Amino acid sequence: MMSAKDKQSKNKVVEEKLLEDLNSKLSASVQCQKTRRLFVLIDPDQLVDTCTKAYESGFEHLSTIAATDWLEEGKIELTYHLWSYSHNHLLTIKTKIDRKKPKISSINSIWGGNAETCERECHELFGVKFKGNLNLTPLFLEDWEGPPPFLKDFNWREYVKKEDYDQSNPREKVYFEVKK
Amino acid sequence: MAMKIAKKMKITKKKVMKIFVKSVWVFNWFNSCGFTELVPVVGSRWDMERFGLVAVNSPRKADALFIAGYQTHKSMKRAQQIYEQMSNPKFVFALGSCTMTGGMYWDSYNTVKRIEDYVPVFMYIPGCPPRPEAIFDAVHKVIVHVDELPDE
Repeated sequence: MMSAKDKQSKNKVVEEKLLEDLNSKLSASVQCQKTRRLFVLIDPDQLVDTCTKAYESGFEHLSTIAATDWLEEGKIELTYHLWSYSHNHLLTIKTKIDRKKPKISSINSIWGGNAETCERECHELFGVKFKGNLNLTPLFLEDWEGPPPFLKDFNWREYVKKEDYDQSNPREKVYFEVKK
Repeated sequence: MAMKIAKKMKITKKKVMKIFVKSVWVFNWFNSCGFTELVPVVGSRWDMERFGLVAVNSPRKADALFIAGYQTHKSMKRAQQIYEQMSNPKFVFALGSCTMTGGMYWDSYNTVKRIEDYVPVFMYIPGCPPRPEAIFDAVHKVIVHVDELPDE
């Protein structure tokens, strides 16, 4: 029976080996911030290349694509979470794109419909355009004509006051007295 | 022609309503917490079936439509479809403060603020969530409403 300490040290050895492997394969600096959680920061034009290599080295499950809006920086950060069933490790690929022209190439050549759905969500809520994804139709919102609602500079309160409420209506006057 | 026959046979709205509205069968259209908060109405403590309230599985069998929780523009379309499928006489109950004013989602960009703009609401039941007793009282008011109709 292996003791807990032995197990930990063995896991560490496996992890270091995996890190080395990935570093050479992805030609990027993969960091291990926590046990079984790997991070890599890349340029947006490297994305498809890195994802293909990650897929080939065992990270075959795309969990999700998340977008973060950094308003002060003027960037949108895209986070791709990949899971490997053979290594039991989570690889997070992060890349930053310009906020004014949010364009990035699609990864549906690797993950097909799964990636397509994730990208549709990002396109709808953050306005990110994925080159190569032909089906960027709205996923959740129906009849939406406003700006992408999850962007930080979308003032939803002003939007709602303009769209839904009438200041001259005494019942709705109170909504216009609410401060920001 | 039909009106003439109705007049001759002394068929009135009240008489028809009296036949149809006896025990109120309910179709539920619940969003979000509206569902979880109103489960006790079905459960053994308040037990809505002792008043003849039955949750039916098709809008075509229902007399009343319960709308609870905040409605998004997307779910409101489905609620309207359900309303159109129901046969007359039909009553819409809007439960909870979300259906009246948007509740705590008053400044959300995709929720419906006033349900009456979309479906004809018979009665609003206030509360966040409404008490089960309030729901029974509201449903009783349907029967009272039929009783109070002018017989002409």
